[in-house]
Amino acid sequence: MKTWFKSGSPWVWLSAAGVSISLISVVGLLFLIASRGLSFFWPSQIHQFELQTAQGQTSVVIGEIYDRERIPASQLNNAQVDLGDAESVERYLVKTGNRELVNLDFRWVLEPMVQQQSQPEDVAVIERRTNGNFYGFIEEVYMDGESVDVAKLDSFIDRVNELQEDIEQLQGTDIGAINYELERIRLKERKAELDGMLTDEVKTGFEKRRQELAAEYKELEANLNKLRRDVQRDKIVVRAMDGQTVDINLEQVLQINFNNQMGFFSKLGQFFTQIGNFIGDDPREANTEGGVFPAIFGTVLMVLLMTVIVSPLGVVAAIYLHEYAGNNAFTKLLRIAVINLAGVPSIVYGVFGLGFFVYMVGGSIDQLFYPESLPSPTFGSPGVLWSAITLAILTLPVVIVSTEEGLARIPSSMRHGSLALGATKAETLWRIILPIASPAIMTGIILAIARAAGEVAPLMLVGVVKMAPSLPLDGNFPFLHLDRKFMHLGFHIYDVGFQSPNVEAARPLVYATALLLVTIIVALNMTAVSIRNRLREKYRALEH
Amino acid sequence: MINVNPQILTQGNKLDINNLSPEQVALEIKNLNLHYGDKQALNDISMKIPKGQVTAFIGPSGCGKSTLLRCINRMNDLVDSCRIDGAIELHGDNIYSKHVDVAQLRRKVGMVFQRPNPFPKSIYENVVYGLRLVGQNNRRVLDEVCERSLRAAALWDEVKDRIHDSALGLSGGQQQRLVIARAIAIEPEVLLLDEPTSALDPISTLTIEELINDLKKKYTVVIVTHNMQQAARVSDQTAFMYMGDLIEYADTNTLFTTPAKKKTEDYITGRYG
Repeated sequence: MKTWFKSGSPWVWLSAAGVSISLISVVGLLFLIASRGLSFFWPSQIHQFELQTAQGQTSVVIGEIYDRERIPASQLNNAQVDLGDAESVERYLVKTGNRELVNLDFRWVLEPMVQQQSQPEDVAVIERRTNGNFYGFIEEVYMDGESVDVAKLDSFIDRVNELQEDIEQLQGTDIGAINYELERIRLKERKAELDGMLTDEVKTGFEKRRQELAAEYKELEANLNKLRRDVQRDKIVVRAMDGQTVDINLEQVLQINFNNQMGFFSKLGQFFTQIGNFIGDDPREANTEGGVFPAIFGTVLMVLLMTVIVSPLGVVAAIYLHEYAGNNAFTKLLRIAVINLAGVPSIVYGVFGLGFFVYMVGGSIDQLFYPESLPSPTFGSPGVLWSAITLAILTLPVVIVSTEEGLARIPSSMRHGSLALGATKAETLWRIILPIASPAIMTGIILAIARAAGEVAPLMLVGVVKMAPSLPLDGNFPFLHLDRKFMHLGFHIYDVGFQSPNVEAARPLVYATALLLVTIIVALNMTAVSIRNRLREKYRALEH
Repeated sequence: MINVNPQILTQGNKLDINNLSPEQVALEIKNLNLHYGDKQALNDISMKIPKGQVTAFIGPSGCGKSTLLRCINRMNDLVDSCRIDGAIELHGDNIYSKHVDVAQLRRKVGMVFQRPNPFPKSIYENVVYGLRLVGQNNRRVLDEVCERSLRAAALWDEVKDRIHDSALGLSGGQQQRLVIARAIAIEPEVLLLDEPTSALDPISTLTIEELINDLKKKYTVVIVTHNMQQAARVSDQTAFMYMGDLIEYADTNTLFTTPAKKKTEDYITGRYG
């Protein structure tokens, strides 16, 4: 026993246990998020339950089984069902959709109440633009008010989707551009007025342009109205689970699937289509449905901006601290301050960013450069630029510390070799030291990205919103709109999971979004790691 | 007793280092004192180093020979606590006077260190580093200087097919010759070698020693060495230092065969050091 202890194997086992625990928790976390998140996209079977209460009333429930659990019978004392003497009963959480008929999307079904359970082949899942899914049987299809063959439905849906795309293009891009330009004209006019340059000539110029735009707008509007009429041409009549028939205009319909008829491969295809929609679409229905593309875009853009800001700042600060600052008490104090910055809670940075960057800096910028749009703020309100800068300050210590460590690791012989060839200190730094330190700088940037991409709290104060009307990058000059607010995956998770009207329905979305956030952070990190590895390979022989 | 380079023994036009005419002197060290903080490391050193010759500094560890060498291109400036008084004149100009540009000085007085320190760049970029520093980016000039320097450092034949590969892939001896090539690419007047072979194997050492013999045709070479045999083989003059003092400075043959000082004799016969 004593020799076993002396041999050091207990410590080996102990460290192995530590490693295993971390590994298991990482894998477990990923597995949980992935399984919960991805199963959301898998087209599930639609069940039809025939229920009978103790009083003998029967009803039919159609829907997807979301969850099942076992509860003690005592909990159901006043349920109108004969439980017999069972100690516990199983119950299902069924997503029934059909929001216009019943208020709740979900409904609990007690197992003993179920008289018969089946999976009817012809039950349709109608995914709609508003009001969520509808489950039911398609009775009739109308084209322009006339009943036609049900088989034409597929082509009708394709047509509607194409028209909707056109409408979106017209509304978002073309009309959006006109609105944007009108706003710019208004600002130009206001600016000219403020500068006292608003002569009649200038005024008529603006007016002329405005009329041109108005004419263009009229034309587009007419187009839009035509498209809107077109898209409403067809409708279907659907019979819901309780026998009522409902008219659904195809304008509302995204897709219709017969889940119970699908084979494995068509389900797989549907699975990937859904994932694609989730990644590529805009959110609908207060973020509880549709995709998360604006949030992905916002997250990545903000992190990239943050990287662009923090890297030069951190590197320059580290160079000063390590190479130029004297080795005295003040430098030590600075270093301690930098390290302690890393420990400040992130919400404090948010408060600082709001107070200093948004209100002070942004407010001053508005007064100096955008007086024409006051009182509505341009940079004086939260936006993607302030978020990036706030997170850059937040991650600055990480970059400084790891860059300094990298600088300290460089053998002095490198400096001496360069200096002995007549290089000045600055030349040596630029040509020799910085390239060799680049892997360490990259390590700092990797850590910064990892920290920043997952940070939500400060962003809520300095730029993230639940729903941004437009992306910070678009086709209107100057293309990158740093003053705009943006959406962020981390905040999206919080919003969908805890702020949405339909928490139960949104839960899988929370997991899916979390999975996506993890994936994006990992992807950003992997990119940085691969760059670092390439640099490291280059200078490998120096690291003894 | 130590074998002295026969070439040196047979040299007819041997210089008398105590009687050099001003144009024969490359460097003159005048009453040089150096302190590291409170500790004095060099005590009142005065000597003249002749042009176009190899001068060796020998002595036990910590005697100040490397420190003295590093004074000649002001590498000691990098040590914060270092204080120097006295003068070193390079062709009559004091390198410690205020208006001297240290970077310019170091271009005139090149240095090679104990351990090979090639930059993590290609062989080519290592050699032309000094030229790029002064803004020379003409490809033709750089190519030419690169080849000439590598030839002068007896490395060209070994690396000519891979001059754009990383210099870190070379062996230690090759790296040291590369560093020498890098130093002579900017055509210095004086070349300082700080124990250039102490980290190398015997074969590489031999190559470097042969190279030093060639180098003195164009450059004034000052070499610090631990190894008395090496000093005897490569140098024309030898200075023996002990505890920060210059004990004896004479032509190599004299110093090794008939040392004037008791301490010198003790050292070269291996009684201490």
